[in-house]
Amino acid sequence: MDNIVFSIGITALAGALATVAGAAEDVESDIGSQGDPNSQVQLAPQMGYIHRIYNKAIAGEPPAWGLWIALGAGIAWAFMAMQINPILAIVLGAGLATFVQGVYSTTAYLGRTASLSKFGQPVYIDIIKSMTTVTMAHAFVAIFATVTLCHLMNAALGHPFPLPLLGLVWGIALGAAGSATGNPYYGKERQYQTQNFGAGVPISASGNIVRYAEAGERNSLDNGFFTAKLGGPASGVCFGLIVFLELWRTVLFEKIGAGWGAIIVGVIIILIFTIIDRYIEVWARKNYGPYTKPEETSS
Amino acid sequence: MSVKVEVIEGGVPHQKILIAGLVLAVIGLYLSYLNVIVGTQMFAFFGGLAAIAALVWGSHTIKVLASYGIGTGVPSAGMIAFGSGVIAFLFATKYGVLAPIVAIVLAAVIGAILGYLANEVLSMHIPVMIKSLTEMAVVGALSLMGFSAMITGSFAFSPQGSFIFSLTTGSVKVLGMSLPSYQSSYIGGALIATVFLLGAIAIQHGFNACLGPGWKQDRMLMLVAECGFLSMMMCAIMSVALISLAAAILSFIVGLLGWYYTYTKYIELSKRDAAAWLDAKPIPEVEGH
Amino acid sequence: MSALGGAKPAGGSTGIAPVPTLISLVIFVIIFAIMYMYGGSLGVTALIGIVIGGLLIGFGVHFVPVGGAPAAMGQAPGIATGVAMLAAGGGLAGLFGGAWAASQGTLVAVVTGAIGGGLMLAITCFFVNFVYIYGMGIPAASGKVKKDPITGDSQPEYKSQGTEGHGLPFVSFVGGVIGGILGGAGGTLIYLMLLDVYNASLPGVMKATAVQVEPIAVSLAGMFAIGMFLVIAVLAAYNITGTIEGPHDPKFKRFPRALIASAVASALCGVAAIMLVMV
Repeated sequence: MDNIVFSIGITALAGALATVAGAAEDVESDIGSQGDPNSQVQLAPQMGYIHRIYNKAIAGEPPAWGLWIALGAGIAWAFMAMQINPILAIVLGAGLATFVQGVYSTTAYLGRTASLSKFGQPVYIDIIKSMTTVTMAHAFVAIFATVTLCHLMNAALGHPFPLPLLGLVWGIALGAAGSATGNPYYGKERQYQTQNFGAGVPISASGNIVRYAEAGERNSLDNGFFTAKLGGPASGVCFGLIVFLELWRTVLFEKIGAGWGAIIVGVIIILIFTIIDRYIEVWARKNYGPYTKPEETSS
Repeated sequence: MSVKVEVIEGGVPHQKILIAGLVLAVIGLYLSYLNVIVGTQMFAFFGGLAAIAALVWGSHTIKVLASYGIGTGVPSAGMIAFGSGVIAFLFATKYGVLAPIVAIVLAAVIGAILGYLANEVLSMHIPVMIKSLTEMAVVGALSLMGFSAMITGSFAFSPQGSFIFSLTTGSVKVLGMSLPSYQSSYIGGALIATVFLLGAIAIQHGFNACLGPGWKQDRMLMLVAECGFLSMMMCAIMSVALISLAAAILSFIVGLLGWYYTYTKYIELSKRDAAAWLDAKPIPEVEGH
Repeated sequence: MSALGGAKPAGGSTGIAPVPTLISLVIFVIIFAIMYMYGGSLGVTALIGIVIGGLLIGFGVHFVPVGGAPAAMGQAPGIATGVAMLAAGGGLAGLFGGAWAASQGTLVAVVTGAIGGGLMLAITCFFVNFVYIYGMGIPAASGKVKKDPITGDSQPEYKSQGTEGHGLPFVSFVGGVIGGILGGAGGTLIYLMLLDVYNASLPGVMKATAVQVEPIAVSLAGMFAIGMFLVIAVLAAYNITGTIEGPHDPKFKRFPRALIASAVASALCGVAAIMLVMV
């Protein structure tokens, strides 16, 4: 019984860490402008809209986060193999992985911007100096939290995978969850704030991103303030739920019915999410209504 | 992304980069094999240099392939390169001294068949597809082998003769005594997962970060070398757990010097190519906006 | 990056070319013959499992609704990220669960892995719709079909002006969950097959006890499973040129040729992974 209580405590802690990691991950990628919305930051100068937004094109979010987490986990593993205290090892691993993230960020910005010279987009050194440090701070939070939860899975819950392999798996999952949830909020709602609310961005408006702020010129930190209010927390809850429910169903129900207990609980959770999803989809259709009148002709 | 990617004009031809990358990588790997012959670990850093040579070649292959538009992002090319490379690499490690050659041959076979599948069965019909996927699988296998040799001192699957360092051996210190352990080894601890992603991101970052109308070959290759040396520094830190401190420090210093040189050089090249280099300046006035 | 593929002529047809298929089948048979020569029935059994796993992954990728860059601006339906990596995110989360349950038998572990992958994508897909609806006030609409094949909801009038649709209509949500289930099951199956082979053969190869080599067996099987997963997922992503809305998308009909490619690719990678401990 004690064992189950201990495992549930670890599960809750892992879920909490995952929530923090997911939120930090999304805000990091929005300040850095990483992932799919960055296509617009890249496109804007070509349409004549010179801007002061960071352009941190390091792969997609899932592989990039796979690297940061796996690297943090790998270095932490190496330090732990040298008999260094796990907490210190994880902090060192996360710190070094953050350094790599920072170096990759600067080279990505310089590379993409220099390749846009034909359209007159200048390289802003102050952007590198002020934004890179902020993204690194967020990255450190996310890497530290995720490597810690991987260590908990391995050391406290007894998952057979070694730490770096868990880092790879959960790093890619973190990037996938964070980019899926957070990207539209940054890409549509913030970059195209001047477009109609409650509608997608018309393809003809592509590249015309918002470049001026309430006062002065918008930079990526402004985007961080904005997305930290919904996109970030939503990504955090998303990744937190993934980790928590996955661990929770295994820890509590694995023993029931020779493993089938956890499976049945998993199916029930999937069905619950399906029902909620269907409910909000119908809610939106009813409350927001169609954009145009339904076509009478059946085809 | 509506960046039109042009086919390479000017610069060093791809064939030259291919040969240089392949030859340097194989030489580097065999220099790291001096460890086994001499019975030391100080030559481990040659493995890192071999991996960097392979990465530089591989990034140029990605550039050639991506010029045709492959439908998915550039990063996926790095993933398929290392996904097929890791299989060829691990299989080859059991051949001891012949490992690099076996890895090249097997990776080429796997890459060619994958390229054939993509091109003919999936009807992609990209002229360089088979050649590119072949090259990338070889690059993936060689760079994994290089970094592995650097971290463990050897690219052999299990110990060879009296040289006890290999991919599957490690040691734990208990009460001051050093005991052999499979768990704290390169493969047993899955450090290979970290190296896998270090390489897979480094190989695609050069092209992914430099694409655009102002793409320049020297700038991209310099960036890939920078990513390679950065990865090498991180591998050197991880290698402290598996090889002697002196060898790890030597690898780290080589990596640090290489990284510093390539990073400053890359910033210079970016300065050369950028439209303007401004510090805390507003958006320049452009007519019409 | 999806716009790179947008104007791309290749990959437009949905048919299967007969000659390459035949050649692929010949390669496939040769691989199995080699496996039988060196690995005997243990090797062949494991390889069959790996091929089934590969087929599940290759098929599963076609279900995952991914819109790529335009989806991030609400210009196209689907999840705004890369298809190969999203499938990998779900599939590897499934592999995590499956590997944990490995000691409870193949069937339980594979189903656990499948549910793990489905769970990851169900939560992710739900949050995509959550952000679209409550964050941006945009209802879900498909650009490829007039009516949602599952619910019968009409789609075109919910599509905002100048876009191809946005969000995840119910059929895409279901597709995402199915994709996660197939990916999780496939990844776990490959892992378990390799783990069995390594647990059986590694002690002999390395002259050590089964307990001692267990970490090596787990890591090798896990790494190979991830490597194969990525190879097959990228090949399947090439097949749909990077974006797909789900099972109702016309591109979905291209899946037979992806199955051929997945089978050959997984057999090829699997034979190398098994022979590591056989020859």
